Amino acid sequence: MKKKNQTPDLKRRAFMEKILKGTIAGSVFLVIPAGPLICKIPEQIKGIRGNKYEMTSKKFAFIVDITSCIGCGSCCVADKREYNVPDHNYRTWVERYIKDYDDKVYVDSPNGALDGYHGPRKDIKKPIRDTFFVPKLCNMCKEPSCVQVCPVGATFKTPDGFVLIDKKHCVGCGYCIQACPYSARFLNPETNSADKCTWCYHRVRKGLVPACVNACPTGARQFGDLNDKNSNVFKKLNGPGVISVLKKEMGNQPALYYQGLRREVI
Amino acid sequence: MQSSYNVHIKRIVLILFIILVVGLIAKQVLTPDSFGIYGHYRADAIHDEVNREIRHMTNASCEPCHEYESENLATGFHKKLSCEFCHAPNADHAKNGKKIAVMSVTEKKNINALCLRCHNDSLWARPEKIIKTVRMPEHLKDQEVRLNNVCSQCHYVHAPLKYINRPEKAKKMQETSL
Amino acid sequence: MHNVLLTNYVFPNDMHVHWSMMIALYPYITGIVAGAFIISSLYHVFGIESLKPISRFSLIFALAFLICATLPLLLHLGHPERNLYMFITPNPSSAMAGFGYIYATYGVVLFLEILLIYRPVLTRLQANTKGLIKLIYTVLTLGSDNLSPRALAMDNKLISFLASVGIPMACVLHGYVGFIFGGVKAHPTWSTPLMPVIFLLSACVSGIAGIILTYVLIKTIKGKYIDMDCLRTCVKYLAGFIIIDFVFEMLEMFSHYYLKTQNHHMVAKLWSDSLFNTFWIGQVFLFSVIPIFLLGCLAFFKIKDNLYKFFAGFISLLLLLQVAFMRWNVVIGGQLLSKSSRGFTVYHPDMFGREGIFVAILVLCAPLLVLFILGKIFPFWIEPENKPI
Repeated sequence: MKKKNQTPDLKRRAFMEKILKGTIAGSVFLVIPAGPLICKIPEQIKGIRGNKYEMTSKKFAFIVDITSCIGCGSCCVADKREYNVPDHNYRTWVERYIKDYDDKVYVDSPNGALDGYHGPRKDIKKPIRDTFFVPKLCNMCKEPSCVQVCPVGATFKTPDGFVLIDKKHCVGCGYCIQACPYSARFLNPETNSADKCTWCYHRVRKGLVPACVNACPTGARQFGDLNDKNSNVFKKLNGPGVISVLKKEMGNQPALYYQGLRREVI
Repeated sequence: MQSSYNVHIKRIVLILFIILVVGLIAKQVLTPDSFGIYGHYRADAIHDEVNREIRHMTNASCEPCHEYESENLATGFHKKLSCEFCHAPNADHAKNGKKIAVMSVTEKKNINALCLRCHNDSLWARPEKIIKTVRMPEHLKDQEVRLNNVCSQCHYVHAPLKYINRPEKAKKMQETSL
Repeated sequence: MHNVLLTNYVFPNDMHVHWSMMIALYPYITGIVAGAFIISSLYHVFGIESLKPISRFSLIFALAFLICATLPLLLHLGHPERNLYMFITPNPSSAMAGFGYIYATYGVVLFLEILLIYRPVLTRLQANTKGLIKLIYTVLTLGSDNLSPRALAMDNKLISFLASVGIPMACVLHGYVGFIFGGVKAHPTWSTPLMPVIFLLSACVSGIAGIILTYVLIKTIKGKYIDMDCLRTCVKYLAGFIIIDFVFEMLEMFSHYYLKTQNHHMVAKLWSDSLFNTFWIGQVFLFSVIPIFLLGCLAFFKIKDNLYKFFAGFISLLLLLQVAFMRWNVVIGGQLLSKSSRGFTVYHPDMFGREGIFVAILVLCAPLLVLFILGKIFPFWIEPENKPI
């Protein structure tokens, strides 16, 4: 992977270190300077660039609209390429649900939908009544069970609500992977630490939407700032439609919402 | 000379005390600097994540060098597609404004595979409103073209209906949807 | 939700079983530690005189296993070189973070208890040996040679204190391991408040069985005398613990069948398909029902000493296997059911990998090797001319 040299110069690093080691009040204001190419790309999330990023006041939401998902898998490809995810591990994936006339449900996700869905399932002999696709990713829970069980504090929830992993601190015990009810986590065989979808935190902090949201051609994946009353996500969450979450009974309070979620989805 | 009756207890207590003190000092010294500022984690880890390389730069980053394709894409039915999906992330293609690798999609089977990922009708899961789907090879038969044709032989992939004369209904859709 | 499953669907990240045999071995080893300590405490705290012959041996046995307890964990960690973070930045909300401090404190308690109990023996050995071993004994007796009644009386009080404190500590040492599983709501077969109880009870079973088996084997191989009264008492306690343990294990399994909570039929299928051999045939029938039946025979029929010794050893071996199978069924079995509630994955342990079969065998043999070495320093058995504690 060719790395772009984006580390801030010494002056800025010293400044940030001062902020980090400063008071709690001072440290919530982190100014992240953008790299050269980013400035030429229009921002996709309003209000992040050029302003002080006050972590504790930020609130984001991710909404997946099942009725728009066509199962193309562009999101999965974009995610894999953005992070160079090792094979057989998935930060996000798309499931295909097939229902027949006896109400039987068949679910599959060939290679996490990285190659898309090329045709109907050959092993289902019965007539099919309905098919739909369900994208899955980290639910970015407000009460994450993964953070609760990490023995060393390597996974955590940031003040702006993102659950991230500190791969320099992770010992690779795998407890968080067991604790996640959504199977969003895996052990990265290259870094030997836990890994998962981060809602592209590095992109969001520079005013861009997550790579999967950017790639989705139908708008099934949407991301936005809940403090922006004109954003899609704000309107959807505060509008009249039905919004659901997965495995509500777990009590994790996900910040990932689903529109058009079907009862067959677990 | 015999040692006093409790010398071994005193030594045990001393050793335990030393271990305790050394342990506490070690814990203090070895705890990473930015640990505990926001919570039970290394605050610098947030920085590490923010400084990760951004690899997909959105369609806007392709426009300066690929004006023709960008313009066609933006005005056609494929305006919502990400260039970087069919081609490659910006980070693999350009560095410091210079091209480092060629990312064109030229092979027949690759083009067909990419198109059919979305437009394959046989999955029944794609509502008409969202996307127009076709079934292969029926579509080729309907259009009376050879059965080993590639999609791009008729459709200009960046603006797929630009050179298609027949689907007036589809062109009407252009005004109403998207 | 009717007819949920027809095809096997496992979440993409659930295909790989993350917690391998090493994670099943760790509770096995710490369980034996806790169980062996309980047997020793039955003598030192509750004054059950018939257990005196093995009271010291069981402590050394516990120490040998405790020393090796971190081995499977270090072999499992993605970054074993960072293991000290458990001590440096332990997360108070995580059950697993308890590992560092609980393990260390318990190690100190156990080691101190051993030092104090063995002090008279070691002091005598220190005076009568030469060279490296003499140095070791000097260090272990902390340079003291005072064996006056006043010193011994003080030692006795401390031993009683340590043994008493050691019982809840041993319970915590193994109870928290059970809670590591019991606290995971995402796995339906793990998430139950009974988990720490089951783990602790099976720990006691494995510890006592380990003691009995090694006692019978060592004494038989060396042609030495086996205290039948001691053996019978051990077997009695073993029977008590396995019966209660079996009841709780069956209760936990039965409550799934009875309560029929969501997706219970997938849990049932786990036990009837993936785990049929290791659970019903192995853990339940071969290694619980048969030993309990044999223990009943030993209790109700008069059996000649030699035959009794054989059965005691044989039953202990079966029960050691029972606990091993139970750990396998919980740790690995629990991960076989995908969180999709729609399918099962399979576990294929590799032969020679870091967490493979070969290494697992080595890890199981390591405590026995350590026990052998410790036996050269700490005499297992109380000799008649020694003043016993």
